[in-house]
Amino acid sequence: MGEPLRQPLEPRTPYPATTKRKLSSEIWKHRKEYMAISPFYLLFAVFGLFPILFSMYLSFQRWDGIGVMTFNGVNNYRFMLTDPEFWKAVGNTLLIWIYSTIPMLFSALVVAFLLNASFVKFRTFFRIGYFLPNVTSLVAVSIVFSTVFSNNYGLLNYIFTLIGLDPVEWLNHTWGIQLAVSFMVIWRWVGYNAVIYLAGLQSIPSVLYEAAKIDGASGIQSFFRITLPNLRPIILFTVITSTIGGMQIFTEPQVLVGNDGGVNGGGLTIVLYLYREAFINNYFGYGSAVGWGMFVLIALFSLFNWKMVQGKGTM
Amino acid sequence: MGKTRVYIFWLLIVVFMVSGCSSNSSNPNQKTLTLWYWNRGLDDKLIQAVQKQFPDVRINAQKIGGDFKSKLKTTLAAGSSGPDIVAFNDWVTELFPSADRFYDLYELGAKDIEPDYLDWKWQFGVTPEGKMIAMPIDTGPTALFYREDLFSQAGLPTDPEEVHKQMGTWEDYFKAGEKLQQSLGNKVKLTDNIGGIYTQINAQSDKIYFDKKDDFIGENSDSSMKKAWDLAVQASQMGLIANANSFTSEWNAAMNNGKIASFVGAVWCKQILMDAAPDTAGKWRVARAPGGDGNNGGSFLAIMKTSKYPKESFEVMKWLMNPENQVTAFKDINLFPSATQALDAPVMKEKEDFFGGQSTGEIFTESARNVKPAYFGSKYANLNGIVTRELQSVSLGKDPNTAWDAALKRLKKELLR
Repeated sequence: MGEPLRQPLEPRTPYPATTKRKLSSEIWKHRKEYMAISPFYLLFAVFGLFPILFSMYLSFQRWDGIGVMTFNGVNNYRFMLTDPEFWKAVGNTLLIWIYSTIPMLFSALVVAFLLNASFVKFRTFFRIGYFLPNVTSLVAVSIVFSTVFSNNYGLLNYIFTLIGLDPVEWLNHTWGIQLAVSFMVIWRWVGYNAVIYLAGLQSIPSVLYEAAKIDGASGIQSFFRITLPNLRPIILFTVITSTIGGMQIFTEPQVLVGNDGGVNGGGLTIVLYLYREAFINNYFGYGSAVGWGMFVLIALFSLFNWKMVQGKGTM
Repeated sequence: MGKTRVYIFWLLIVVFMVSGCSSNSSNPNQKTLTLWYWNRGLDDKLIQAVQKQFPDVRINAQKIGGDFKSKLKTTLAAGSSGPDIVAFNDWVTELFPSADRFYDLYELGAKDIEPDYLDWKWQFGVTPEGKMIAMPIDTGPTALFYREDLFSQAGLPTDPEEVHKQMGTWEDYFKAGEKLQQSLGNKVKLTDNIGGIYTQINAQSDKIYFDKKDDFIGENSDSSMKKAWDLAVQASQMGLIANANSFTSEWNAAMNNGKIASFVGAVWCKQILMDAAPDTAGKWRVARAPGGDGNNGGSFLAIMKTSKYPKESFEVMKWLMNPENQVTAFKDINLFPSATQALDAPVMKEKEDFFGGQSTGEIFTESARNVKPAYFGSKYANLNGIVTRELQSVSLGKDPNTAWDAALKRLKKELLR
């Protein structure tokens, strides 16, 4: 038990080995098809590939954005690795990621499970309702949340005083800022992940549940023995996408507490740090280096998550 | 459906294309000058009047929204195209290393009008090498904004002159603040935030972080950096600060609810305060600031090297910023003049209801005349950011000495970059 059902792919007949000459003539033969798909590749080359390569080049330069670039060796990277603010930004980002992703994916799973249950009515309505935050303007959301978490005149503190609690200066504490940012992420992404989980749930064949029922399995047993293992690839997908998204969090803290990340830099995430160094402090070469540092971090972190989620399922 | 729609569609396309091309007027001598500025950065009515004043000039004025500085820098980085005339804010010093990307206005005849302007403001646009890359638009002389009613309840003087007499130094101002907070049952704070005090004290100084050789002078005894730090820390330790960051919704609410009794700010804070705190109309007054007169903010106009019409651009700028038009801009959108003659205009003495019938223009005019010329250096904003971040930690309990050491360490690292 526990091993997900997999439809093994039919092994394809391997492509006949082609020589170079044959390949180019193949391309020529299909030039119309290649032309048809070329717009994407051209746009990607200009707006995707070139900036990536250029930022790699830039990360070894010293450049204020206007004047001449001068070669800076690995100094940008050295500065990054020795700058306490960079590591603070990394720490903040990881904390916000943990605060937001775990509750978010858990509630998404619960929401998906409920939406999939047969006793819920108006399912389409709820599906749309849960998904709606995801298409709301991020800046607008951040502004609304900033009034909710405002130190002295916020909605949350108003409710606190109504029920007899002391108001909390949310945005004057590192944890308060991180909590507020995490809330925004959760609010925005639960519905999105729930819809993905829902698709996964619906793809689990009902015969499995019926068989389990006949064997006398309880609801909890079938959740852990059937639903979870079958959902594992989907969970992996959501964990990786939320890792990538969570590492790049920017707008929420920027609108909430400003370019410095607020009090004690509690909301200073890696991208906010990158933005501040490049566009406020005019170190564009350094900003590129931070971008590449972030790339390495995300890659490592995704790998780690992948291993973890993969390993956990073997019961 | 059918053919009619298709015809209309093509017709529209043609109309758009034709209208897109027809912007070039029939006058062959007409020169189009592109101008970049931000909303309320210049008087729109005056910009429209340029065409009447200069029949050969068509002005293409573009309000650049969002992050103006980033957009300007991207354009400069691209090297080609871009506006002819461009507005700068007080970050003009950040562009000194790229002075060759702008016309030296001295070469276009700016020397002739130099005596008409406040010298300290004029010098902000001149590089240490003596190139003038930007000419003054408006200024931001600073003064003390205070709540007359709260001062009166606390037994403090209420008349602007008396206030200035008793609170001429920051120490005296803090002492008065202690008295005020005690008399009002600690429900009101003297001022808004620690970073504001630090920045305003430096704004009154002529030596902050750099000398004209761009050497760091922050640790010299005549620099205001440490003094400003110590005073800001003192205010925080005396509990005089509300921790409301300037111009946030928090700040607006605190002002409107009367939780903050005073703050030192530039003349452009007037408009912000009036919008933020309508319920307190009539209760505010303005006095000369403790510690002396200073300047905070104020913008500039420059001509990009890519412009084909530097002479025409300069003539337009000269006209836009002449004393007479500065008075107009002050009347229209409250841009505080940088031309000395404009400071004498009768409109500067008008009484204002929000300030209980006081004519605050007289205070700010006096302040503007007494600002000391300062050199900020191209890294001013970076350094100021580092120090105010540490100061903010102090206001929330960090040990001031630890914070000072951390700030200095980070500053020195920054200087080596």
